[in-house]
Amino acid sequence: MRAPEEAMKPVLAVERLSVSFGTPHGETKVLRDVEFTLAPNEILGIVGETGAGKSVLARAIIDLLPKGGRMTSGEVRVNGKPVGKMTEAERRAMRGGQIALIGTNAKALLDPVETVGNQIVRVLQSHSRLNRKAAWTKAVQLLADVGIVNPEQRARAYPHELSGGMAQRVVIAMALVTEPKILLADDATLGLDATVSVQVLDMLVQRSRELGLSVVLITHDLGIIAHYCNRVAVMREGRVVELREVSEFLKQPEAVYSRELLAAAKVRPIPTLRSIGGSEMALLEVSNLVKIFPGNRPGQVVRAVDHVSFTIKRGETLALVGESGSGKTTVGQCLVRLIEASSGSIRFDGNDLLTTAQARFRPLRRRIQMVFQEPYVALNPRWRVRHLVDEPLRMLEKMSADERLKRVHQVLDLVNMPAHYAERFPHELTAGEQKRVGMARALVTEPDFVIFDEPTTALDIRVRGQIIDLVRDLQTRMKLSALFITHDLNSVRSLAHDVAVMNRGRIVEAGSMETVFSDPKDPYTAKLLSAELAIEHETEARVARRPKSAEERVG
Amino acid sequence: MTSFGFALRRPAAIIGLSLLFLQIVLIIFAPAVSPYSPTEADPLASLLPPSSTHWLGTDISGMDILSRIIFATRINLLISITSVALAFVIGVPLGLLVGYYRGFLSGLIMRIFDFVQAFPIFVLGMALVSVMGQEIWNVATVLAVLFIPIFARLIRAEVLSLRERPFVAAARCSGATDVDIMFRHLLPNALMPAMVQVSISIGMAILLTAGLSFIGAGVRMPTPEWGLMVSSGAQQMILGVWWVSLFPGLAIVLAVLCFALLGDVVRDLMDPMKAQQFARDPEIDLQPIGDNR
Amino acid sequence: MIITFRRQWEVLPRSLQIILGRLALVVPQMFGVLLVTFFLIRLLPGDPAVLLLGNMATPEAVEQLRDRLGLNDSIWTQFLVYCGNVLHGDLGVSIFTSNPVTVDLMERGPATIELIFYGMILTVVIGVAVAVISVRKPGGTVDIVSRFYGLAAGAIPDFWIGLILIYVFFTLLGWAAAPFGRIDVFLNAPPPVTGFYTIDALLAGDFDAFRSAAGRLVLPVITLAIVNAGGLMKMTQSVFSGVWESDFVRHARACGVPERVIMRAALRNSLPPIITMIGFLVGFLLGAAVLVETIFSWGGLGQYAVQAVMNSDYPALQGFILVAAAFTLLVYLVVDILYELVDPRIKV
Repeated sequence: MRAPEEAMKPVLAVERLSVSFGTPHGETKVLRDVEFTLAPNEILGIVGETGAGKSVLARAIIDLLPKGGRMTSGEVRVNGKPVGKMTEAERRAMRGGQIALIGTNAKALLDPVETVGNQIVRVLQSHSRLNRKAAWTKAVQLLADVGIVNPEQRARAYPHELSGGMAQRVVIAMALVTEPKILLADDATLGLDATVSVQVLDMLVQRSRELGLSVVLITHDLGIIAHYCNRVAVMREGRVVELREVSEFLKQPEAVYSRELLAAAKVRPIPTLRSIGGSEMALLEVSNLVKIFPGNRPGQVVRAVDHVSFTIKRGETLALVGESGSGKTTVGQCLVRLIEASSGSIRFDGNDLLTTAQARFRPLRRRIQMVFQEPYVALNPRWRVRHLVDEPLRMLEKMSADERLKRVHQVLDLVNMPAHYAERFPHELTAGEQKRVGMARALVTEPDFVIFDEPTTALDIRVRGQIIDLVRDLQTRMKLSALFITHDLNSVRSLAHDVAVMNRGRIVEAGSMETVFSDPKDPYTAKLLSAELAIEHETEARVARRPKSAEERVG
Repeated sequence: MTSFGFALRRPAAIIGLSLLFLQIVLIIFAPAVSPYSPTEADPLASLLPPSSTHWLGTDISGMDILSRIIFATRINLLISITSVALAFVIGVPLGLLVGYYRGFLSGLIMRIFDFVQAFPIFVLGMALVSVMGQEIWNVATVLAVLFIPIFARLIRAEVLSLRERPFVAAARCSGATDVDIMFRHLLPNALMPAMVQVSISIGMAILLTAGLSFIGAGVRMPTPEWGLMVSSGAQQMILGVWWVSLFPGLAIVLAVLCFALLGDVVRDLMDPMKAQQFARDPEIDLQPIGDNR
Repeated sequence: MIITFRRQWEVLPRSLQIILGRLALVVPQMFGVLLVTFFLIRLLPGDPAVLLLGNMATPEAVEQLRDRLGLNDSIWTQFLVYCGNVLHGDLGVSIFTSNPVTVDLMERGPATIELIFYGMILTVVIGVAVAVISVRKPGGTVDIVSRFYGLAAGAIPDFWIGLILIYVFFTLLGWAAAPFGRIDVFLNAPPPVTGFYTIDALLAGDFDAFRSAAGRLVLPVITLAIVNAGGLMKMTQSVFSGVWESDFVRHARACGVPERVIMRAALRNSLPPIITMIGFLVGFLLGAAVLVETIFSWGGLGQYAVQAVMNSDYPALQGFILVAAAFTLLVYLVVDILYELVDPRIKV
């Protein structure tokens, strides 16, 4: 292992840390001999997939292991002092006082029935003897520091009144309020929109630089590592398999696993060539689609989809990109008539979908299918894979049970699932496998057109890579036409011929993927693209890896 | 080991199932196993304490308490199970329809449930039975009426949340019709709490039946019924004659306990995910990716 | 018009909006309750007039009564008349006591309310305390005891456990007061102010009466609590353990917030469902009171209702269930308002 920053003493040292969990079936090792140090002013990234033990590591550091967990060996030193030798009171003062934890899903981390200002005050008063009024002033000041507009008023808000990004800022304010030396950010921006996530991370890293904090950034996103961290530790099955400078890691990863991760996260070359000459007829033609929802108050309306038009040709893929609330999913739901559009027209291979009665639309369903976003909840938990994949066939095709079973096995093979998975229940599958089942369901009727709703969201790095490769494979093999709804711009680069960017119900920019991505015309598109955290190693880090003042301060 | 076997091997399940088995045996073989007639008075044997001839003693009219407890199993379980079965058969489809189709009629049905449930359950039961006449079948019908809203509401609440779940939208995209969605997708998923409620309700019904008889609003003497038996000993309890009320009360406790335990067993068996937990390691990574909504 | 009304509504403070909104809902509920009580008596097989007068009545007397009761009018007219009477506080005349039902109920009401009130307090104290301790110290004595108690409590008939308590604590041990009424027969009831003997006795400075009244309350209150605390405990356990293991509690701990402060926040978060459950408890307690009052000769509404059942005193029965439902609705109203006040997430 490399020695950190020459003469500087590490603020945090983890030495041969092992953690086990007791289960009814014996002990399970979750961390094995994890070892690293954190230098002052350093940002260390810890990356790994689900089950790597990242979150357990964070909790082990502050000695708050979840139920059933215990440290079997090793030591954690905070500023040279072993946590194991602290008294209970010292440990409590250490948590939040010296090491502050910033967790995932900020809204759940806040007390739902208390104002956020009071919650920050609560933390501050746990670590200092400040009176309420002074604490409140400081809380409001911090809310301003973390970029919350109108902090005085926001401090009086309850968590449910805040957006996800704002709640995350509150949690960061809560962490900074006690002026700790170390921040542990455990997937702190997971689930936020990319632009918000980048803003929050920029702010977090900038504040840490200004305050001279050391940060451990735990993430499953290599882009975050590439753009914000000095060093990276790659974790797999409870071990650190690689620990080195980020720039070296990106150029030349050592461990096989690291190479796999990087390869999976990289953009693939442009998908199959489009049909030459564009002579083919448009398969799907959407024009002036409008969907209006009633608002919270009578008379008020929300235009979720506002005069959206696009066309998709046979064998081509259009990516509809935008952030949450942009209306992109609503467009998809209108296409399969899960909700009825308010006005506009959708022509599919000569049929007008919107004027067709539901009953006559049913036969068309076998030609238009949708892959749902959340893999687990989109599968009936009480059905086996076989029945789940069979359902569209049973409903829409006139086939014998034997024929259907044969087709089910074919399509499972198509999505690279072993045949014996047919007997499993959804909860027995991993997230990636559930996603494949969802795709198998959509593909089993051999549709002409498939809508993929966020197919790469919330997946581990390698699984995401596999799904992207699978979709690319289907595009070439089945000449599939697809609408690809996503906020993951990076995956669009590997999957789509054309792109339409949606913002607040409108398409603000559309064109071929290369043109739009290399030369965005609309400021919103530019903003989206600037929030993309690419890992191609020529990319510049968003925030300077080394604070300039750091050497001066030390030297 | 299968999860099924595992769930059945818990001590609670063993006790619950044994008690159920015991009751079934007593119901079928009541005349064979009870030492005396349950309704034959013997003035010479009034209020005898437990002894080798009368294991649990006799009541004021000299009837053998053990025999009466055994025969009462028939009446008490008959009333309870019938009423819950009726409530289940009516309440479940009603809840499914009311949850799936939201319109004027659904609203009206829910309001009627509101009105009925505004009354404390025992008070309304008492009034209904006394107005309709104190017959076994009337008690069962009244209890069924009181339980219908419970089942309907339970199913409705489940359906309301299930119908918004993406797998329902996915089924619709696969061409499923309303009937398919209601009966193949929603009902099987919504049924679990109702099945658990069946068990709990049978217990409740046993307690309510006994309570009604106790205050004289249920079945009448000399029918062997647990609540009635407790009531027949109530006057003497204060004088130290404890056996007349104690034993039938214990029978009630055991019967209700049995169904409460079975409710837990049903819960474990019906839930594929929960059943799996017995055989599977718990999720160790605390915040798996995608768990952030 | 509507818009200006909306605007005026929106400037009202949240708490006032909650209270007014809930009050508006009570009116149709009360109407529904009246409908049920009215048709309940209509379920009587045969002629109500005959039932009221008994089989020996002459046809003239029956016809006269039919006329007086308005039984010859259309059913909706009768219902309207019934509603009007109820609004004027007229619930008819009890066949058994020959008093107006309203008078009978007013006389007996305080006895029942006092019983339920103390029963409720003990139930909540036992239920919540045991639940909180068992969640905080899993595997401890309280936790293990609570598991058995939670299972058993739901299975114990209240009328039976009441008798057992009397046998053990009065007959065998002689510790408890006699199970005959609210106060010793040789003592005078304190002058009524609140209707609660315990409070009235203290107000009057009559400590003998207080001691007797409090003593008489012990067994029935314990009976109510033993049977009902189990359900509340189980529910509180599941709510509180959910909160106790929730992300925000873990986060507060990771922020170094002391356990005492976390505990307070967790309890506050568990409050809304507990409040709802307490509302339902009132309904259970009212039902249980019917049985418990019978055992302890309490002389309250419950015993009155049982007498009504025994004597086929239908006006009395009808009056009682109407009052019981109205009382329950009132409690639900208070509970709903409290619920919305303590949970800022609820939209008004």
